[in-house]
Amino acid sequence: MAAVLEPYIYEGGIHKHSLILELLEDLGGYLVQKTPASTEVTLVMLIPKKDVHLVEDLCKKLLGKLTPAPLTGTEVAVVSPTLASHHLPHSACDIAEYIRRGGANTNMIGLARGMGRRVALSADYERRLINEHDVAVFSFGTFKDCIINKKPKLFEGIEIPIVVTGGPDIRTEEISGADIYVGGIGRVAHRMRKGPELDAMDVLNEKVGEIVNLKRENIAKDPLAVLPARLMKEVQEQVPDILNVLTPAPITLQLDGMRVKLPYDRYHEAVGNIVFDEGFILSDVANILPSKMKDYILVKIKRRSEVANI
Amino acid sequence: MEPLEIFTVETTEPSEAASYESILKDIISELAFSRTIGRIKVRIRPEDSLFMMVILLRRGLPPIKAGEISDTEFDREHAKVVITVRDEKTIPQFLDRLWEQFGRQNVIQPERNIIEVAADLETVDKFIAELIVDDPEKTIRGRLADMAIRATPEGFRIRYHSLDSGKFVFVASEDTMQQDWIDEANVMLKELEGDDS
Repeated sequence: MAAVLEPYIYEGGIHKHSLILELLEDLGGYLVQKTPASTEVTLVMLIPKKDVHLVEDLCKKLLGKLTPAPLTGTEVAVVSPTLASHHLPHSACDIAEYIRRGGANTNMIGLARGMGRRVALSADYERRLINEHDVAVFSFGTFKDCIINKKPKLFEGIEIPIVVTGGPDIRTEEISGADIYVGGIGRVAHRMRKGPELDAMDVLNEKVGEIVNLKRENIAKDPLAVLPARLMKEVQEQVPDILNVLTPAPITLQLDGMRVKLPYDRYHEAVGNIVFDEGFILSDVANILPSKMKDYILVKIKRRSEVANI
Repeated sequence: MEPLEIFTVETTEPSEAASYESILKDIISELAFSRTIGRIKVRIRPEDSLFMMVILLRRGLPPIKAGEISDTEFDREHAKVVITVRDEKTIPQFLDRLWEQFGRQNVIQPERNIIEVAADLETVDKFIAELIVDDPEKTIRGRLADMAIRATPEGFRIRYHSLDSGKFVFVASEDTMQQDWIDEANVMLKELEGDDS
């Protein structure tokens, strides 16, 4: 039985942070993402639940901060009707930034023709791209009428949970297709930093966390053949070219797989041939697909019930 | 008229007016418009895909004439004309105009507020007497259009606008423009003018 892993973010000085990484490896935890920024470093980690106190003690000694990050290992799509100045950088980027603080990786998606009321629509390509994520957060505007009557057509074809943000107070049931609605985050033309705005963002993170937990529970009923975090480590060891990739998250974990940011044509076989200690290879237990995002590789891990004979 | 002495936003759902007002305020301050706008009234009916905005501008600044902010004289050798500019803010535009007229090689700026032109005094004097260096009214028109487009809900791309002696009327929608809306906006303008009209 695998150890239960708890997600945490460490923020602290870069000095001696490698001690944390060594300890994490000894404990059997996983480093999901490391972001150095001059003399500071941010580590997103999965730590075995019973050993969290050991890491906590070390972090204290290094004068860093260890905080729980419930959204770690998820990839969230922040969808705005377009990429115009009505949505960016505020509020869509503020939403994305706040969700990232919860540990998630976010992708900003601006639809090509999502603006307006009667004319709003999404393309097949966009729907497929959004469906590659764990959760979609749609950031809408100020008017109740638009959010209830017009914008839900953008949810058509979206199969992942949908979180909707907007200005007015609306009950989730009023918006057809939405799983959760969070109010108080409508269209703004300034950076969100006032008290009520930040409170609304906290609610958003909480709600996204709830949806992620539901999805995790759902997966736990019929677990994945391989843990995404473990697969990430195997990719790093067996496809070393991933270490030369310069994007901030060369491997982006998802609840049921990962995005490997290497060209599909050249690397999908290498990724599919990753060997596990148990003797099977990755393509036996996962679907290796071309991602709709650039030419990346999308790995979706099968459930245990699907691969019972391995 | 005081700056922003009337600032009204009307929406079908009254609670939504406050958040739209905050958007407008952000846009106005971003474009440094708060001293230019005297009164503003906005009416939004999302169910009709309709956005209307009327603005009364405060009396704008007069155009800056080159003759009023500079002195000209011959240098000691009578080889070139020396222009001393008193209003430093306008020097970049001033230089642009002179370069256009006399060629870049004939206009140099040895000091911050001094421009030398290799030409005869009479020609330069004549040119400068008629030259308008900067027209704040003109830049305001451009910025006003920018403000209207930023303030409109996204997707409302059918637009009507008119600017007549400091009175700005703007109507935007997603659907075909209707004369009723323009008339309604003009009524709003009348209301905004109140006793001043």
